[in-house]
Amino acid sequence: MKQIGSIAGRELRSMFVSPIAYGVMSLFSILAGVFFILDVAWFNEMLMRMQQYQAFDELAQWNLNDSLIGEFYGSMSVVLMFLIPGITMGLYASEKSNGTEELLLTSPLTIWDIVLGKFLAGAVFVTLLTLLVGMFPGLLFAYGDPEVGKTMSGLLGILLVGWTYVAIGGFASSITRNQIIAFLVSFVVLLTLLLLPAVADFGVAGSAPAVAEVLRYLSAAIHFEQLLKGLVDTADLAYFAVMIGVFLLLTKASVESVRWR
Amino acid sequence: MIDARGLSKRYGDLAAVDDVSFSIGKGEIVGFLGPNGAGKTTTMRMITGFLPPTDGTAVVAGHDIFDDPIAARGAIGYLPETPPLYPEMTVTSYLDFVARIKGVARKQRRDSVDRAMERTDLTGVNRQVIGTLSKGFRQRVGLAQAIVHDPPVLILDEPTAGLDPLQIREIRALIAELTAPGAAQNTVILSTHIMAEVDAICRRVILINRGRKVVDAPLEELTADGTTLEEIFARHTSRDAADLEPDEPAEEAAS
Repeated sequence: MKQIGSIAGRELRSMFVSPIAYGVMSLFSILAGVFFILDVAWFNEMLMRMQQYQAFDELAQWNLNDSLIGEFYGSMSVVLMFLIPGITMGLYASEKSNGTEELLLTSPLTIWDIVLGKFLAGAVFVTLLTLLVGMFPGLLFAYGDPEVGKTMSGLLGILLVGWTYVAIGGFASSITRNQIIAFLVSFVVLLTLLLLPAVADFGVAGSAPAVAEVLRYLSAAIHFEQLLKGLVDTADLAYFAVMIGVFLLLTKASVESVRWR
Repeated sequence: MIDARGLSKRYGDLAAVDDVSFSIGKGEIVGFLGPNGAGKTTTMRMITGFLPPTDGTAVVAGHDIFDDPIAARGAIGYLPETPPLYPEMTVTSYLDFVARIKGVARKQRRDSVDRAMERTDLTGVNRQVIGTLSKGFRQRVGLAQAIVHDPPVLILDEPTAGLDPLQIREIRALIAELTAPGAAQNTVILSTHIMAEVDAICRRVILINRGRKVVDAPLEELTADGTTLEEIFARHTSRDAADLEPDEPAEEAAS
């Protein structure tokens, strides 16, 4: 376990000596800016209309956190679904195509050193992206008074969703030597996770309520929503911990499987 | 230093390596010969811990590869057939990373990296990105990576494959220098199918064919009566020789 830092450090250095990291971060900032401006514009538009029609009940419900920051966080979590597979697709697949897998597996490292080191590298990068997201609601504190707690718990949600996506993307990368396949597999898995609540609500809710409940629990979106509402519940935190743990275990088994063949 | 005890690797019914045993003492430089597909790489991968043997085990510098895999792997410097390089890294940062994962202490790391680059004549390109280096230089980085942690045992898998004649000569001279008596890495297994390489560097020959060890003798002894290595190689690996193997009649009966 001493070598996690060595693996993570190399991985991060490789990201930052190539244009990939900077490209992803710039793209991400631009997208975040666009979404934020759109959300602010929409927020103001709705506010004006409500005042015009004197819809005081709706107006009372209208606040920066639920109607602007929450929407913005939601959009950014979808953006992460596209970007993270791009970041993680090379984690293991490139080691195989470079032949460096042989270097790692014949060095005095444990498989956990490799798996946790690579996860840590991805998690650090996602943390940087989350900080970029956090800057935008930060601006609102200068002009309005959003709730600090809700703003932070939503940001925590982004962070946990991102880390979960990294664990899933890492696993997808570990099962193939082709980065394109790694990208597609992780993207499809993440998309499926996103669609689970809809499947639960419209597909099986009537016929098999128990199955619907399980499907809803498995979806990251449901737990993310709780955090957006400012509800930091151990059950939701546990969901993210379990998902990350399960995919890291699967990744470990997959890396180790080179040795079974 | 290296004790292979009945190493076998089977894929279903196919035996890639079949009950190979040998013992290599400190200071021995052994040429590991055999035609393509004979099981050279598989045997080396089992000793280095990349692949687990189906049967048998190996002991490297006193550490069993099953009981104490971390220590066994730490005692080996290994250059696989394709040098394991990260093309986007510079030579120095790459060697620093390898030194770290091989367990070189922080204080000694800089010295280890500098010495490895000196010994492989890489000092001039230390800041260059590996992806921009020529094939010969990349092979040198591969060698530097194998010796950076001063391992007592070196395992080199076809270190001159794919190089031009000039590069071959350079790399060969480098290996001879690295493994000279008195150097830290003087226990070496070097796989190749180039006979001249064995002549130039090795003092003992292990020949495997179809996964089995067929010759294991000092080079002098083999060539004492004037036969060349080529002849020995051909005698033991030709189709005729293979046809005489005891498992052949069974196949005939089947067909």
